[in-house]
Amino acid sequence: MRFLVTTSAAWLFGILSASAASGGHDHLPPHAEEIANIGPFVITNSMLMVWIVAAFIILVAQLSTRKIALIPSGLQNFVEWLTESLYTFLEGILGAHLVKRTFWFFGTIFVLILFTNWFGLIPGVGTVGWHLTGPGVDPHDTFRPFLRGGNADLNMTAAMAFTFALMWFYWAITENGAKGFFAHIFAPKGKFTGIMALGMLLVFAFVGVLEIISILFRPVALSFRLYGNIFAGENILENMMLVTGSEGIGKWLAWLPPIPFYFLELLVGVIQALVFMLLTSVFLKLICDHGDHHDEKEHSH
Amino acid sequence: MISIFDFLAAAPTVESDGVVGDITRTFNVTWPLFLSQVVSFLIVAALLKKFAFGPVQAMLEQRRARIIAGEENLKTIQKQLAESEITTAAAIAKANDEAVRLINEAKESANSFSEQKSQEAIAQAQQILAKAEAAARADRDRLSLELKREFGRLVASTTSQVTGKVLTDADQKRINEDALAKVEG
Repeated sequence: MRFLVTTSAAWLFGILSASAASGGHDHLPPHAEEIANIGPFVITNSMLMVWIVAAFIILVAQLSTRKIALIPSGLQNFVEWLTESLYTFLEGILGAHLVKRTFWFFGTIFVLILFTNWFGLIPGVGTVGWHLTGPGVDPHDTFRPFLRGGNADLNMTAAMAFTFALMWFYWAITENGAKGFFAHIFAPKGKFTGIMALGMLLVFAFVGVLEIISILFRPVALSFRLYGNIFAGENILENMMLVTGSEGIGKWLAWLPPIPFYFLELLVGVIQALVFMLLTSVFLKLICDHGDHHDEKEHSH
Repeated sequence: MISIFDFLAAAPTVESDGVVGDITRTFNVTWPLFLSQVVSFLIVAALLKKFAFGPVQAMLEQRRARIIAGEENLKTIQKQLAESEITTAAAIAKANDEAVRLINEAKESANSFSEQKSQEAIAQAQQILAKAEAAARADRDRLSLELKREFGRLVASTTSQVTGKVLTDADQKRINEDALAKVEG
């Protein structure tokens, strides 16, 4: 029975995608497209998608906490399981103190990226929109979709990555202090004396410079990794729908080739959310880590 | 007054030359778009913190607090139970000692009472026996006296009838004494 339902859902999913795609959009651009402006703020179709996902997450959270039962079941149970698992997982990386401070951010990062990735797979996203008309319109780019995968927009992934970079700096300074922060980057690790100490000072100063460069590149790498994976996935799905051709029976079988890739993209959605959250949390842990000696002291207490 | 909106509106597009310029143009990374996304993400993160993770974490915290309180209560109950068991055992031991003491006292009292009653019964029995003996002795003496009188009267009467002589009191007394001496002897 379960197999029947799953198979039927996959077929329906493919048919809906294909029929939506046949609506006539020209190509998948590498960037999100503007759909409105509020003053200086530009609203893009990817931004709209993120808001819809955020509204969905808030709705689920509100529904699950509306009638709190002592013994959880259904939605409350699922939400509790998800949040608690995420909290425990992050606690294993960051420790009890840091996770209490930062869970809201890493939880948001994971859940938002995950559901944004999955929502991007819903038929109609990127394929339902309107056609631009009039003078000045590029004849090769007339289609404007209402929605676009939130993370298939470099501005969105960069916004998350650079926000994390600022938060990382704030948390690192508040946890270590300014002196501790710079000592963490530049100070020699280990105990050295005499000429060895001088040599190590120079070596670790150079390592510190490399560390600073690495830190500066982290948000760039984070942005492109997430964007690249999600945009590539959307491209694959779009191109798979085109392989059967637009003539004859091929037009009606366009839904078939993308189906395996939908399952792949479901997996990619989880992995990329996890990778982004893991990397950001590990970056924070690295700068806030006080070393084994300190940990031993803490454990002994 | 220059607001953030004016700043955003006036923000230049990132369109430098070279590799970076190519990348930003290809992916349409511009300051207005980027800052709009940053603002959007911050709003979304704040909303999720307040309306999604906040209530769920509060719910989990409430559950955790309830579990901790339950464990504390369990410890208190176990402690109270242990104390109660000790108190109960002590009370039972005390009651047992008291019961043993009362039983011993009751036994002693019963023995003493029994002894007293036995002595009283023996005394009463001896008293009754003495009274009975005295009564029996009195009856015997009375009967013996009556018998002596009757015997004397009969002897005197018989003697008088046989001899035809009227006996004096002295004669009667002497004859009676002789007859009694022979009967008793």
